[in-house]
Amino acid sequence: MSTVERKDINFKINGKEVTAKEGTVILDVAKRNDIPITNLCSHRNLKPFAACRTCMVEVNVDGKKELVYSCTHPPEDGMEVYTNTDETNRYNSACLEMLLVEHPLDCPICDKSGVCPLQDNTDALGIFDGRFEINRRNEPSIKTNPIIEFYLNRCIMCGMCVRACDEIQGVQALDFHKRGMSVTIGTANEEPLDCEFCGQCITVCPTGALMDMTSEARGLAALFAKTESTCDYCSWGCSVRLEAKKGKVVRIEPIDDEKVGINNGNLCAKGRLGHGIIHNDERIQSPMMNVGGNFKEVSWEEAIEAIAERMQTTVNRNGAGTVAGIGGEKLTNEESYLFQKLFRAGLGSNQITTLQNLRAPYINSFMLKCFENGIHSKPIMEMEEADVALVFNSDLPSEYPVGGNAIRKAAINFGADIIIANPRNVIFNSETKNDIRLQFSAGSDLVVANRLTRILIDSNIVDVDKLKKAVPNYSQMTKSLSKYTAKFAEKATGINDDVFTQAAESFGKKADRFVLIGNDILENGQGQEILDALLNLAIVVHHGGEGSVSIYPPREHANSQGAIDMGVAPQFLPGYKGTDDQTALTSLANAWGVESLSFEGENLAEALLENCRNGSLKFLYIAGENPVNSYYKGSLVREALKTVSFLVVQDLYMTETAEMADIVLPVSSFAEKDGTFTNITRHVLPVNHAVIPEGNSKPDYDVFCEIAEALGKPFSNTDLADVQNEIEQVIPLYKGLMPGDKYGQWPADSFAENPEFALASEFKETSDKKDFPFKLISNNHMFHSGSHSQRSSALKEIGPECRAGIHPEDAKKLKLQSGDTIQVQSENHKFNVPVEVSFVSTQGTVYIPKNWTEIPVNMLRNGEEGLVSVKISKAG
Amino acid sequence: METTEAVEEEQEIKDPKAAEEILASFPQKKRHLIPILDKIQQSYRYLPPNIMELVMQYLRISRAQLYGVISFYPQFRIVEPGKYILKLCYGTACFVKGAPIIADKIKEVYHIGAGETDAKKLFTLQLASCLGNCGAAPMAIIGDDTHGSIDPEVTQSLLGSYEDKE
Repeated sequence: MSTVERKDINFKINGKEVTAKEGTVILDVAKRNDIPITNLCSHRNLKPFAACRTCMVEVNVDGKKELVYSCTHPPEDGMEVYTNTDETNRYNSACLEMLLVEHPLDCPICDKSGVCPLQDNTDALGIFDGRFEINRRNEPSIKTNPIIEFYLNRCIMCGMCVRACDEIQGVQALDFHKRGMSVTIGTANEEPLDCEFCGQCITVCPTGALMDMTSEARGLAALFAKTESTCDYCSWGCSVRLEAKKGKVVRIEPIDDEKVGINNGNLCAKGRLGHGIIHNDERIQSPMMNVGGNFKEVSWEEAIEAIAERMQTTVNRNGAGTVAGIGGEKLTNEESYLFQKLFRAGLGSNQITTLQNLRAPYINSFMLKCFENGIHSKPIMEMEEADVALVFNSDLPSEYPVGGNAIRKAAINFGADIIIANPRNVIFNSETKNDIRLQFSAGSDLVVANRLTRILIDSNIVDVDKLKKAVPNYSQMTKSLSKYTAKFAEKATGINDDVFTQAAESFGKKADRFVLIGNDILENGQGQEILDALLNLAIVVHHGGEGSVSIYPPREHANSQGAIDMGVAPQFLPGYKGTDDQTALTSLANAWGVESLSFEGENLAEALLENCRNGSLKFLYIAGENPVNSYYKGSLVREALKTVSFLVVQDLYMTETAEMADIVLPVSSFAEKDGTFTNITRHVLPVNHAVIPEGNSKPDYDVFCEIAEALGKPFSNTDLADVQNEIEQVIPLYKGLMPGDKYGQWPADSFAENPEFALASEFKETSDKKDFPFKLISNNHMFHSGSHSQRSSALKEIGPECRAGIHPEDAKKLKLQSGDTIQVQSENHKFNVPVEVSFVSTQGTVYIPKNWTEIPVNMLRNGEEGLVSVKISKAG
Repeated sequence: METTEAVEEEQEIKDPKAAEEILASFPQKKRHLIPILDKIQQSYRYLPPNIMELVMQYLRISRAQLYGVISFYPQFRIVEPGKYILKLCYGTACFVKGAPIIADKIKEVYHIGAGETDAKKLFTLQLASCLGNCGAAPMAIIGDDTHGSIDPEVTQSLLGSYEDKE
């Protein structure tokens, strides 16, 4: 809830008493109260527009009757509204009839057939014999881009696509063109559409004028088998509807219902168009065993038997502590839970981790520290009502695109301030009146966060006395901030202190604040310090300011959060209990039916890859990760996987990591399995299968159960509902949240409150390396996530090649133009990549997305902490 | 290399100096878009693509939005017109007194229809709504000059005289 107060308005619709908040319109109130009013151009996420003229209602105020359009008319106290009167129906029908004069009525081949507002309204008004002469349009379809087909004959000029593109997505790729009879929607001068391809325009279109060309099926959408599930492309956790025809997922749509999911009907390009990874010829067809360098297909029984046997021998010979596992961050909660149970209960090994926890275990400590400071963070749905959003080092449209949608809505509805702190000049358009940009020198994130905290205190923007009382080590913290003066900050970040002050004033005022942190903060070697600094910033407004603050740890994948909740980390048992917590160990042993649990041996998983390389770990199980391509220590991974005696990899595709395995197991995609994901903001979300597993693949879930059985230590529960029940018992945080259909956020109030600032750390500037003048910035591309998305033909079409972004000034110096190939070289590695010159990149930096296996960005870094310095030259 | 040349020929790069001055005289607010376009067209005689890039940057609007506004108003031109804009009145009086046959004649001689420019880039034909000089119907405005009571032959010789001036 925003801190802006909106008073309640009481009025009647068709005699029924209803209440609405100030600032709403009659139509929205009626919809929420299940009172139907015909309409075609209104959407709860868009501003009122009144284009279609089919939502007329009668209102009576003080006995005075008026006919008004309910999509723009605000309710008043004591107002009486009547819908569906003879008079309003006459007007509404007349307008709809005129729309039907031109509409092609080619319903059998239309993607909206059966789920079409135009059909529904026609039916509601009973227009069965129109009075006007029919004059159908018959222009050819426009297919100038690979994703969205414009069949404008069906267009009714409601402007929903134009408004969604502008208001929700901030892209403005579409607008009305020409006027009168020849008005049309589209791009400037009919150029091919070049946009974020979020497809929001397809979602809101009330006719089939805009269609998703990635769908293989045409027409009768109402008859597709529909499954509600959760997208697995990023950590946001959007609810999606998987639509299948003849056993194949043909398209993915958001669920356009504010009561379902955390995304309020929004979705991005990856979520909508990335279904190409499900049914794909490149999927691994069968379990495979590496026999002398060649992969040989084997049966599931053979593979499972071989794995169990090897696990057992390794445990017998070298001890349980030499068997290790990397749990994928896209495994469901149930799978993650069984994975750690397999290791802990089945083998007695605690050597398990996720890649995020391996690289940055401090992210999880950061989350716990937030709770200990009483910052529990609100359900993410409320971000649409934020007063201030701070986006810290995240390129929202690429990293958390649907988060961007929510922030734009907050800006429209509640005038939210938006503060974007990023080393790049990232594009984020919104209607906010206060768009504050903290574009800092690459690597100086820490200074930005600490400077803001210091201004909040120094300028008394927050109540310092209250803060002093609330947090015991206040004075040590302020002391540690003494270095962060205006002059120092300006020198380190390149940002004028007035801008910092403006941001601090916005962040410190009475407000509901949301802080989104990008995974980019891990890149400059001071990730932990930056998170501490952001924690301090949050504590200062939490204890010293008015309103609220919500701050979420950065997460990259669909279940990065859930995997840690389930205990896929050497430092945490399920539910954040310490691995040396005897009470927790005993109750876990009881729950799992094992005699006792004890993990006192060395924590080898903390430096898992080094310990594989030096031979301390003898067996490695990688479930659904491709570290060869994605982990920041490129050559260490390669060496570790080469050295480790036995490597099992399970994945959908033969990745670079799978190529190095002794046994490869084919597993199912998210569309073929059941369970739950826990998103970045701790909402537990349902994953439901829409189709049966492709070929010979199995859900990871089944694989873990079978291995446990082959080990002679079968899981007590193997049925999904029973496992979910077990999770609720073992992890009280999850009580009542399974099977994830309520989109509940697990509560943080069971963590003991212990307010404490982290002391501000010293800023370590990445030293300039002679001959390597550029700093590398890398993250996920807008149309790709990890390396799987490369297998989706639609995403490949809109994001075909890796391009390195550089600033026009740098391009000028190096005599480069967009499209030229450059060589990027660090001290460790070099490769060639085409260049893109744009103002998004800043001088002295080069941006390279990390999703192309042929451009191994992780090899440039190769384990180096801190920003990577590179040099660039034109490739001959 | 051929493609680059083709593009350059299609979109002549205009000197942005005048446009920069025009832009600087307006605040950076979207609501000034139409007056800005109007001034730019007065200066350049049309709305050149490279100048439109400047307008988009200055007012922070997208291509679709900018060209959405431009295409709404027929008087905004995105293609460079001929030296003389030939406004042939198509109001009721001129229409009944033969404007269409004049248009046919122009088509026959210069091969241009409404909105088109001849090969020599001398004339751009516009069919205008009533120009308010019905007493002299049919009439046309060529450049800044008004010509009344014309017919196909008179029109042809008139246009010929403009051609001779060149």
